[in-house]
Amino acid sequence: MQASAQDTPHAKHRKAGVVARVRQWWSQFIYQWQLQAMIAPGIVFMIIFNFIPIYGLVLAFKNYTVVDTISGAPWVGWENFRIILSDKYFWDSVWNTLGISAIKLSLGFVLPIILAVMIYEVPWGPFKRIVQTLTYLPHFFSWIILGGMLINWLSTNGLLNEILNFVGVNASSNYLLDADKYWGIAALSDVWKEAGWGTILYLAVMAGIDPSLYEAAEMDGASKIRRIWHITIPELGTMITLNMVLSISALFGSNLDQTLILMNTQNQPKSEVINSYVYRIGLTQGDFSYATAVGLGVSIVSVVLLVITNVVSKKINDNQSVL
Amino acid sequence: MRSINKAGKVVAAAVSAVLSLTALAACGSGDAKDATASLPDPTYKVSASTPAWKSDKSKDNTLTWYVNADWWNKSFGKDLITAQIKKDLNLDITFVTGDDTKLNTYFASGKLPDIITTFDSTSKVAQTANQWALPLEQLAKKYDPYFSKVAKKETLDWYRLKDGKVYGYPSYSNTSADYKSGMIHPTSAFIVRKDVLSAIGKQDFTTPEGFVKGMQAIKEKFPNLTPFGFNDFTDNNSSLQSTVQDMLGVPITTKSDGYYDRDLDADYVKWLEAFREVHAAGNVSDDSFADDADTFKEKVSTGQYGAIMMQNFVSTGTQLQTFASKNPNSAYQAVDAISSTEGRKPTLSQSGLSGWSINYITKQTKNPAKAIQAFEYLLSDYGQMLTNFGIEGQTYTKNSDGTVAWTEQANQVRLNETEKWQKEYRMGEFVLFGHDRYKALNKASYVDAIWQMQDWGQQYLTPQFKIENIAPDTGSAEARSLSAIQTNWSTTMVSMIRAGSQSDFDSILKKYKQFQKDNNIEQVNSIRSQKIKANVKKLAD
Repeated sequence: MQASAQDTPHAKHRKAGVVARVRQWWSQFIYQWQLQAMIAPGIVFMIIFNFIPIYGLVLAFKNYTVVDTISGAPWVGWENFRIILSDKYFWDSVWNTLGISAIKLSLGFVLPIILAVMIYEVPWGPFKRIVQTLTYLPHFFSWIILGGMLINWLSTNGLLNEILNFVGVNASSNYLLDADKYWGIAALSDVWKEAGWGTILYLAVMAGIDPSLYEAAEMDGASKIRRIWHITIPELGTMITLNMVLSISALFGSNLDQTLILMNTQNQPKSEVINSYVYRIGLTQGDFSYATAVGLGVSIVSVVLLVITNVVSKKINDNQSVL
Repeated sequence: MRSINKAGKVVAAAVSAVLSLTALAACGSGDAKDATASLPDPTYKVSASTPAWKSDKSKDNTLTWYVNADWWNKSFGKDLITAQIKKDLNLDITFVTGDDTKLNTYFASGKLPDIITTFDSTSKVAQTANQWALPLEQLAKKYDPYFSKVAKKETLDWYRLKDGKVYGYPSYSNTSADYKSGMIHPTSAFIVRKDVLSAIGKQDFTTPEGFVKGMQAIKEKFPNLTPFGFNDFTDNNSSLQSTVQDMLGVPITTKSDGYYDRDLDADYVKWLEAFREVHAAGNVSDDSFADDADTFKEKVSTGQYGAIMMQNFVSTGTQLQTFASKNPNSAYQAVDAISSTEGRKPTLSQSGLSGWSINYITKQTKNPAKAIQAFEYLLSDYGQMLTNFGIEGQTYTKNSDGTVAWTEQANQVRLNETEKWQKEYRMGEFVLFGHDRYKALNKASYVDAIWQMQDWGQQYLTPQFKIENIAPDTGSAEARSLSAIQTNWSTTMVSMIRAGSQSDFDSILKKYKQFQKDNNIEQVNSIRSQKIKANVKKLAD
């Protein structure tokens, strides 16, 4: 039956089309061999470090220990996911991650845009460079160092209390022990660290804006604010959308380094995020399968968020995807 | 098609048969009484009275030794101590280090190194050692019977698996005899600055009321100091949990060897109330609950606490010594404090039978004779003296009372050339079979600042073997429950101490008890009780 199906004129025609396409693809590949050669290491890297490890996700459905092989560990089906659903600490960590990320997103998304526009509008070069350097600086410090500084600043005799006492407000508490303040501290300190660095892409886009647009607007009597609103911001549109898509998809990926440094027994109910929870269960307690199951669940939700945001941004952006 | 199917069936049947035979053969070898029967015979005369390494004249022996810790110094044969080991054993060791991922890669690949050292006697690696390691006593019988003279029976029995064999031998395993010998020291004490003690007059730190008053007295005389300090909370519940419980002599089990919840002991809770009063009076800094280990040590080295509930003063020895050297009249010293309101004596703990690192010889070792010789050598008096003090006459001399002193030349290097002492001598650092009973032969093994603290607690040292390794197995529902309860206890204990009033204190404790119930504490405790009973049985055997 199969042999006779292959002999029909339609099948013959289709086969010829496929052969032609393969030939065309191959000749194009040969023609672009320099470009393809440059891409090849990246593809090999992705296969080795991104695609092959996907196999490890089967651990989420197994009971795996250090003496097992991935294939040899016994299957447990959905058991790990069933436990996750009834795990109060996991849901607390989800809630904390979303809370901290939401504050980070709302502040950390807008601030770099405002900062970039402000830096762009500074007319005096040296001052512009000083501001840029100072705002970039925290990005280059690790959380180990910044966390240590924060713990010190927020302690009973720290910088914050010194300032408050100086202006007449009597204060002597350790702010990191107050669980209710943790979300704010985590989000603000992250924004402080990364806002300056976040301006780079926007400044790069702004450098490419045609100056004649501003000159024309100025001739038409547009104020500085109007020029920013009607020229600069629309020109940044694609970059803003791209950043938005990437930020939303990273909603569940709150900073592990920051959490491990700033977390203590008192703020833990509000500071435990998904990543630190996975680290604690998976690495320090050796429950690899459970940690993999949590990681897999979070990755799936992140992909769904990425796709949804991309679809929405396409609708806003005249059906053009920024990804 | 039919013929292909038939051929396929024949092949499948043949493969199944081969696999079944292989499996049976594997089972057979696992059940065999002597796992060392198939190993090559020794090439030297085996004697029970002479260490085998003295008789074995074979040359060019090599072993690969995996240590599951990235910090382990991999060099071998380049310093005074390992060069002597290399010479004595005619052995070159290649050390490999890593973490659990690397260890897993070894198991997954099926190619194991000759020797494996891990650090968790409750891990799956230790529990399944019979599948991948060789039984030590049988190895010793075949290649080096002198091993039975240097290995401690109590430690061997503690590590005996259900099949009756011992596969791993630990470092720093303290036996009952070690506890009685006076050769191992306690590591916890309540310490107060000398100048503070003399300034505040006679204070009774042993009762809750006296303790609260004593801390207030420190605040009044030394307003710039934090009166009461304790260890950081980074990895555990500071020195305010088991260390205080040991000071109060809180029992470790019920009378019938069931699990006893020491955290809810009435005597202990009474002392937590006292700490709450000290905090409420402003005599505990809130920073103490947020400081990490480095910050705590920094504060100790600058003497910022009037008094400290100190857990493991050995690991804080450098900082205590730094402060004592700069301020000899203010150095910290141990005093009687935080005593039981029910008349119990302190029961200070130290490392137990499980010890620290555990060493295994794998079934794939290419030189089983040399591997067991290395174990025996490092466990022997000779090996222990070498790894702790170097070579007699060259780096140390023996005193008439059995203690040890550095030679003048070695002492000069120790005091003035720290890098040379570590790199060229490697003194006291080759610890894979280390034990404190040898370290104690030389007082200078510890910094001067902690000698008085060691002496203070010596009489209270009490083993806690019965409650070693009693947590539910990793990955079980009970292990997850216990983890949740312990996390909650950390928050609860600190909240109780920071509570504004006695009624807040009581309601926080009540909430914790409910949390325990909601998280399956009965089942967790039942597993702990079963494990305690198994331990008691092991100790009785």
